[in-house]
Amino acid sequence: MQATAVRGNRLTAAHKPNHILRLNRVLILLLGLMVFLPQFNPGRISMKINENASLFTTAISYDTLTNSLGRPLRMEWVLPQHFHMLMAGAAVILAGVVLCAIGGCMSLGNNRMKRVGIVMPTVGSVLMAGGLVVINHVYNIFINLEKADKIEPNFPNGIYIFAVVAALIFITSIIVWLRLPKQVEEKMEMEEKYRLFLMMLPVLLLAFVFCYLPIYGWRFAFFDYKIGDALTADKFVGLKWFTYLFENAATRNDLVRVLRNTLIMSGLGIITSWFPIAFAVLLAEVRSTKFQRIVQTLTTIPNFISWVLVYAIAFAIFSTDGFINSFLRNVMQITGANTDYLANPDGTWIKMLLWGTWKGLGWSAIVYIAGIAGIDQQLYEAAKVDGANRYQCIWHITIPGLVPTYCVMLLMSIAGILSNGMDQYLVFENALNKDVIEVLDLYVYNIGIKQGLIPISTVVGVFKSLIGVTLLFGANGISKAIRGESII
Amino acid sequence: MSKKVRNHIARKPSDIVFDTCVYLFFGLFTLLCVFPFYYLFINTISDNEKVVSGLVNFFPTGIHFNNYIALKDVADLGSSVIVTVARTIIGTALMVIVSAWAGYLVTKQKMWKRSLWYRALVITMYFNAGLIPWYMNMLMLGLTDNFLAYILPGMIAPYNIILVKTYIESIPASLEESAVIDGANTPTVFTKIILPLSVPILATIAIFGAVGNWNSFQDSLLLMSNRPDMYTLQHRLYVYLNQSSNLAALVSGSGGLSTQAAQNMLSSKVIKYTVSMVTIIPILLVYPFMQRYFVKGIMLGAVKG
Repeated sequence: MQATAVRGNRLTAAHKPNHILRLNRVLILLLGLMVFLPQFNPGRISMKINENASLFTTAISYDTLTNSLGRPLRMEWVLPQHFHMLMAGAAVILAGVVLCAIGGCMSLGNNRMKRVGIVMPTVGSVLMAGGLVVINHVYNIFINLEKADKIEPNFPNGIYIFAVVAALIFITSIIVWLRLPKQVEEKMEMEEKYRLFLMMLPVLLLAFVFCYLPIYGWRFAFFDYKIGDALTADKFVGLKWFTYLFENAATRNDLVRVLRNTLIMSGLGIITSWFPIAFAVLLAEVRSTKFQRIVQTLTTIPNFISWVLVYAIAFAIFSTDGFINSFLRNVMQITGANTDYLANPDGTWIKMLLWGTWKGLGWSAIVYIAGIAGIDQQLYEAAKVDGANRYQCIWHITIPGLVPTYCVMLLMSIAGILSNGMDQYLVFENALNKDVIEVLDLYVYNIGIKQGLIPISTVVGVFKSLIGVTLLFGANGISKAIRGESII
Repeated sequence: MSKKVRNHIARKPSDIVFDTCVYLFFGLFTLLCVFPFYYLFINTISDNEKVVSGLVNFFPTGIHFNNYIALKDVADLGSSVIVTVARTIIGTALMVIVSAWAGYLVTKQKMWKRSLWYRALVITMYFNAGLIPWYMNMLMLGLTDNFLAYILPGMIAPYNIILVKTYIESIPASLEESAVIDGANTPTVFTKIILPLSVPILATIAIFGAVGNWNSFQDSLLLMSNRPDMYTLQHRLYVYLNQSSNLAALVSGSGGLSTQAAQNMLSSKVIKYTVSMVTIIPILLVYPFMQRYFVKGIMLGAVKG
């Protein structure tokens, strides 16, 4: 009975879910994440060390590590070699993590590869323990320093956490190793599906770190936080900032004003979203292909310059010393023409729309120009035979041919109604037009980065993201219902 | 074809009026798009005194290029140019490599949980956590005041991955299959077969990526607050423009123009124009090459995941 069980176990080891191995992999994943999270940094052995430094940063960036320790270092209360030792410890831990990660990848292979691979996390966890000992040693040096109070030694929780995770990885690795069958394949092999996945993994990790990890930043919405603070449990304020946003009169008024600007500017964009179609249709009516090509080439240029350059151009044309004023002064002989048109807040919304149109019209028309080129010419010929004039052709053939593309564009712009970007409004913003030009994205920048109100600006950002996703799915739903095609 | 058809019909007076209006409209709009660049340019190469008095409106006078040479003495500009050129080259190259590699891999139906990973990449086009969480994330990763902040986040360009994927899917599968039969592994197939065949799409994303990198402003504004020497050119220009505008406001507020103030405005106006021109010129230079890729690039808004 027992013998069959063992034999069965051996035969099916590759196919049966191995829970310990899974736990091992999950722990390694967790470890990989912790390396980048400052809360778990075992290297923050002084309160003066940048609280935003993760273990990874500790290992690679001396500058970030010591940017608040300029004075203690100058006064030689603490020596650079202490930090070098700390960095070395962090680097050893990192090396251990890398080994664990390699082992985790190899565990996707056949039993032989698993057997070789499991050595990696075993060694890696020992390395990590060594690194932690080094860091602990530096900590002991710190508390015995003459001026220890100046550098505020701190025993970070990260040391315990890393130690526990390293120990667990060590134990699970040993168990996995013991349970792997002794008789293994001759060659190390891995199924193609896992090989392909591992090749994809670096890309996925990059995407995770830069596109998904920021969601973790939403936690700031629930804390009383200023840049430079540590995020500790006693600063947790629950939904305070969410209610503050609506209960505080000043913020509420700001928000209403900003939303008004956002919706008006996006609304103007949506109202004028047929401009590119008109542009394309009219351009197609031009008989000279040479003229068409020149127009298309030259009107697309503004799309490729940044908003800063658009502002530079606006400055060259409309500022006190710009083209308009010098033209009026020197050509039209109007003395005293020195209006700064850019400072004038009148009609800001329309002006922003016009700048947007100037920059984007030629470019947005290209998709429709391509669309017109794709319309079946036989339709036009048939219409001519039936006696249609050119306006009827435009109205009954060209425009209907462009409507599907237009619908997609329109739905996308409705889904993005809250995101008008901040560059354009940032560069054109000044003290006089601030009230009418500040859109949501710019507002978030202004209160978050400029004023340092991280929690409240995060709350605004959270709302914006959620509404944006809802709108997108809504638009997608509409598109599916009407056209039977999704837009995303 | 349509033109031929149209030519058979005699032009009526209303047609002539219509055509004239159309030509007039396009002529004016094109002029509007081009004139500012021209105006900026002639003001950087004309006699500086005339520029300051506003006498250079339509034609350059006293052509010289000293302003461009003088830029080498403008503080901080050199480092901005180096940083921007470096990020444009490195950032674009890495973005193209990653997009090509990822775009190829996501066509592999055999990959473990392929559609999940692909979707995870596509979603990032439509969803982001917001500016501040993004900023806090970069802070957490130690990527503030760090050149890598220009390179690493830009390596993932989901839209470009989709473009490459769509393109590779149009390559006949038999090419790849025959290589696999000959014993080529995935990386070999990628470098020997897929890469050479995808040059057109890679050129497209490279050129659009390069322009995007050259135009980058926001990441510099947000992340480089303590490192002015790592501002991108756009950010540097923005700083200059704002200095000048403050100066101009100061002068017009004080009533009369003192000579000293006029001198300052001279230099600041000319410097501002010249830096703008330096920032624009590379874009105008690659522009003719970009044009061939417009129709591919424009699919930007229209391609599905």
